[in-house]
Amino acid sequence: MLTFARRAFIVLWKDLLVERRSKETLNALFFFALLLLFLFQFAIGPDRERLAGTLPGLLWLGFILSGLLGLGRTFVVERENDCWEALLLAPGDKSAIYVGKLAGNLLLMLVVEAILVVLFGFFFNLDLGGVLPGLAVVIVLGTVAFAAVGTLFAAMTAQVRARELLFPVLLLPVQAPVLLATVKATEAVLLGEPLGSVAHWLKLLAAADVVYVAVGVLTFDFVLEG
Amino acid sequence: MIRVVGGLALAALAAGLVMAFGVAPRETTQGNVQRIMYLHVPSVWVAYLAFAVVLVASITYLVRRLEAADRLAHASAEVGVLFTGLTIATGSIWGKPTWGTWWTWDARLTSVSILFVMYLGYLLLRGMVEDRERGARYAAVLGIVAAFNIPLVHFSVYWWRTLHQPPSLMKPGPGTMPGVIVAALLVNFAAFSLLYVYFVAKRACLLRREAEAA
Amino acid sequence: MADNWGFVLAAYGLAAVVLLSYWRFLARHERTQTHRARPPRARPGVSEPLAPAVSEPLAPTVSEPLAPTVSEPLAPTSGHPRSKPASRPPLQ
Repeated sequence: MLTFARRAFIVLWKDLLVERRSKETLNALFFFALLLLFLFQFAIGPDRERLAGTLPGLLWLGFILSGLLGLGRTFVVERENDCWEALLLAPGDKSAIYVGKLAGNLLLMLVVEAILVVLFGFFFNLDLGGVLPGLAVVIVLGTVAFAAVGTLFAAMTAQVRARELLFPVLLLPVQAPVLLATVKATEAVLLGEPLGSVAHWLKLLAAADVVYVAVGVLTFDFVLEG
Repeated sequence: MIRVVGGLALAALAAGLVMAFGVAPRETTQGNVQRIMYLHVPSVWVAYLAFAVVLVASITYLVRRLEAADRLAHASAEVGVLFTGLTIATGSIWGKPTWGTWWTWDARLTSVSILFVMYLGYLLLRGMVEDRERGARYAAVLGIVAAFNIPLVHFSVYWWRTLHQPPSLMKPGPGTMPGVIVAALLVNFAAFSLLYVYFVAKRACLLRREAEAA
Repeated sequence: MADNWGFVLAAYGLAAVVLLSYWRFLARHERTQTHRARPPRARPGVSEPLAPAVSEPLAPTVSEPLAPTVSEPLAPTSGHPRSKPASRPPLQ
């Protein structure tokens, strides 16, 4: 059990180091998030009421679009330096790699999401002070689900020829229930309602998290097989 | 053997038509348009059956590496997508005179559409991976993820539709339906299931021949 | 309320067309397989013309699983007249 955790941590640490040195993913994603905000503003128009109504949806659209870009690159780093073969040859449970990658993706997405929330608050003049804890809960639950399936599918599509196309095409339908749940829950939270009022959505998200991570851990071996 | 099933399917389909048009009564609120239900509901049941088979076959393939399981998963997914598409189309045609609109985001149409896109992605994945063995593995994993997603889709869409609106007229579930209607539904479901078996058997056979020829 | 038989007909008709088309797709490809498996015989008549561009009413993804057959080492039978027996691989 401990070696599993250590192996996962090593993968996470390696990715964090690579990212810290190059900072390419984070920078690019930050700019992308900013641009998305502009796009949403232009697409929806200046009407405040309309914007306020669509805000939870736009927020999660922003998360998902950024996530698609960020997650799709999960295994690109490995492919470029022949590390893929090294990964395949690594002894023991390959699921540790999955957990490590998942943790890395989770961290990445949470950082981008935090930035997006701040930007949203700034551009759309929201008062987020009181709702932040509730919002954080919803965001974490939703992001785990997204990252869990995304990491698995990223490994799958890394070896396929039209990977940039196939990855979103496979991921988005599977994430539909998660999107429904998170937007509804976010809607309630932003209106100031207590988390208890959306307990069923949160339970759904929690169930999704458990299912996705479990399936990911159990099937990652089969995906990485040479 | 397959021909026998095919023949049975044909006979059952005929019986189903008789039930749908001859035996089942004209519905009071909707009129005869409601008879589309004898097409729409068995279709969706068969689709679920197909995707359940995909799940079992996918797990079997990963655990035992039986090529037959992989072919079964592939065939079942294909036929499942076929029936899912049919469900959506018949649901839409039913909806136009009933609700006045071709499309509505009601619980069943929405969740079936999500299913449709998920398993269409499954077929797309199959088509895009050149290496046969890897394609089988990936598809099996996707088949498992998609199947576990189905209950999540159900609950989320149902809550999404009904918690702030009254439930739509088309809520599934024959709870308070008269026996004749249930009987007609079941006959048609049996007919569609036989057709499903026939299609899957033939498709899996085709896949086997292709694999042998390669 | 009007009975809207037109819609009923449309739904059942569509179902019939879709299911029949899929059945024909299966039957046609089964025939391709059987022809390829059998040894080549000097046939006076023309073999069944199998145009690759037959428009399937179904979505293209349905024919995707067949893609591997085109890239196989055997000469594709679709769209071409039967090749000379001498160029065919011997019967296994």
